[in-house]
Amino acid sequence: MRKFRIRESNAVKKYIFMILLLSFLSACSLDENTAELYKQETPLKLEIQTPDTFTAGEQETIKATLTQDGKPADHADFVHFEIWKQDGTVQYGMEEAVNEGGGVYSISKDFDKDGLYFVKVHAQQGDSLIMPQKQFIVGELSKSDLDFLQEGTGRQETGQGHHH
Amino acid sequence: MESVKETALQKPQQPNTALYRTIWRWHFYAGIIFAPFLIILAVTGAIYLFKPQIEGVLYQDYYQVTPQGEKISASQQIEEAKKLYPDAAVTVYRPGESADRSSEVGIVNNDESLTVFINPYTGESLGELNSEDRIIDKIEEFHGELMAGTLGDRIVELAACWAVVLIVTGLYLWFPKKKPGMGGVLFPRLNRGKKTFRRDLHAVPAFWVTAGMLFLIMTGLPWSGFWGTNFQSMTTNTGQGYPPAIWVGSGPQSTIQTKDIADVPWAAENFVVPASDIQGFIRLPIDDVVSIAEREGVHPSYSIYIPQDKSGVYTLSAFPPKAQDEITMHIDQYTGAVLTDYRYDNYGWIGKMVAWGITLHKGTQFGLINQLISFFICLGIILVAVSGYYLWLKRKPKKDIGAPKTAGFNNTKGFFLLLIAMGILFPLVGLSIIAVLMIDLILIRRIPALKRFLNA
Repeated sequence: MRKFRIRESNAVKKYIFMILLLSFLSACSLDENTAELYKQETPLKLEIQTPDTFTAGEQETIKATLTQDGKPADHADFVHFEIWKQDGTVQYGMEEAVNEGGGVYSISKDFDKDGLYFVKVHAQQGDSLIMPQKQFIVGELSKSDLDFLQEGTGRQETGQGHHH
Repeated sequence: MESVKETALQKPQQPNTALYRTIWRWHFYAGIIFAPFLIILAVTGAIYLFKPQIEGVLYQDYYQVTPQGEKISASQQIEEAKKLYPDAAVTVYRPGESADRSSEVGIVNNDESLTVFINPYTGESLGELNSEDRIIDKIEEFHGELMAGTLGDRIVELAACWAVVLIVTGLYLWFPKKKPGMGGVLFPRLNRGKKTFRRDLHAVPAFWVTAGMLFLIMTGLPWSGFWGTNFQSMTTNTGQGYPPAIWVGSGPQSTIQTKDIADVPWAAENFVVPASDIQGFIRLPIDDVVSIAEREGVHPSYSIYIPQDKSGVYTLSAFPPKAQDEITMHIDQYTGAVLTDYRYDNYGWIGKMVAWGITLHKGTQFGLINQLISFFICLGIILVAVSGYYLWLKRKPKKDIGAPKTAGFNNTKGFFLLLIAMGILFPLVGLSIIAVLMIDLILIRRIPALKRFLNA
C-alpha cells in the first residue's frame, strides 16, 4: 500500500512539475506593440528651424515643420508663432504663420538685438494641440541671459539628468 | 480521535470517506498554516477600508484651506515648495480636487519622499508629511506585503491563493449530506452540545462569508506582485485588459529628438557649453500641463508626475473613488502633445472588471455602504479563522497535531486533479504543493516521530 502511494505521488509530482514548468516558461511579458490594441493618439510632431546667422537690418525666417501620423501636417487648423527676448525688450505677440505647404509654416521677423530668444509655436490639427517652446541665440549672450540660464538649471532640470 | 468518530457518526453511510478525509486533511493543514495571514489581511484591510475618513481627520490641517480669491499658478506653488527645500527634486504636483483642498507638491529630499501641502491661494506651506510617517501607508504595506518587500508580497499572495483552496475544500466539507433541516448549514445548532456548536461556529459563518471572501481575494489578486503582474501582462496583451503603462509596461516617450533639446549649463564656472547646445526645445511649463488637464476634462483629483529625464513625459493620472472616473494621460514634455489618453472607457472588458474590482475591494466605489459591507466581510473572515483555530485546539489530542489521518489516493483522483488545476491557475500554490510533496517524501516519511505527530 505504502509503496503504491509513493509511486503514485511521484507521478503526480512529475505531472505537476511539468505543467508548472511550462506555465513558467510561457510567463508573460508585455508585447511591444500592445499599445496598438488600445486607443491611440495621433500627436503632432515638429521641428523648428531657427536661422544660423542673423544680419542687422534684415528679417530672418523661423520655420516649423509639422507632421502627424508620419505625414506632413499641411492642413493645420492653426499655427501661431509667439517670439520674445529673454529680457523682455523684444516681444512679437501671437501671430499666424505663413503656410508654405508640405507641413512647413514660417514667420519672418527682425532680430537686431543680441541675446537669448524664445519662440513658442501654437499649432492644432485635428485632435492634437501642441505648444512647444524653443530657445535660440542671436549673436552673444548677455550677463542677464547667462544668469537666466543658470537659474533655469533648477527649474528645467529637476532631479537627475545633470551630466557633462 | 474524537473528531474522526464524530464525523463518522454523522455520516454512517459515507460512500467516499477517503475523499472526505483527504479534503479535510488539506483543509486542516492549509488552515493552520494560512489562517494567521488571513487574520492579518482581514485586520489591516478592515482599517485600510476607512482610509479616506481616517486621513481626513488625521491630516485635516494639511488638507483644508479657506477659498479666497484666485489660486496662484502651479509653477508659483512649486516655487514656494522649492524655497523650503532648495535641493529637492520635484516629482509630482497635485492641484487639489476642490476649492477648499490644498495642493500637494511631492518632492524627494535626501532620499526621503515628502509631500509639501500648499495653500493654493496664498502659496503658504501648510506643512509637510514624510511618506514614511503615514500610518495608513504602513497599514497598506502590511496588507500588501507584511512590511517585508517582495517576500512579503509573495507570502500574502500565497495566503490569498491558499484561501481559495480553503474555500473550495471547506465548501465540500460543509456541503449538507442528506440531512433534514438547515441546522449546521445555514445557521448554527445551539442545542446539540458543545462539539456541534463549535463546528457550526466555524462552518456556518464560513459559508456566509465565502462569497465575500472569494470576491476580496479575486479582486485583490490582480494587484499582487507575481500573479497580478503576469495576469495584467497577459490581459493587456490580449487587448482586453488595461492599456499599457497603467499597471504594466512603460509609457511613451517625448517626441523631440535628444539633439534638439536645450542643454542647460549647471555651474557658472563650467560655462563652456556651446551655443548650439543651449539652443533647443525647453520643457513645457507645468502651468501649460494644468491647462491641458482642464481642456481635456481630466478628473479634478489628478496628479501630474514630472518627467525626471530628457525622454520622459508628463503623466497625468487620477484614480478617484469610482472606477469610471479613472484616467492616465501622457503628455510630451516639450510639445505638450497628448501622447496617450486612457480613460475607463478605453479599457478592455477585463480591464474594466479589474478596475471595478479594485474600487470595490478598497471600498471607495459605493462609499460608506461599500466600506461597511467589506468591513463585515473582514470581521467574518476573522471570526472564521479564529473559530477554526478554536475548533482545532479543542479537538486536538495531546500526543499529535490532530490532523485527519492520511487516506491514500483511492477515489481521490478528482480532488488531486482539482489541486493540480489550482496549482496551474495559481503557480505559487503549485510550487507550494510541490514543496509539501518534497518535504513529505524526504522528511516526514522517513522520520517516524514526525510521521506520527502529523498523522501522515
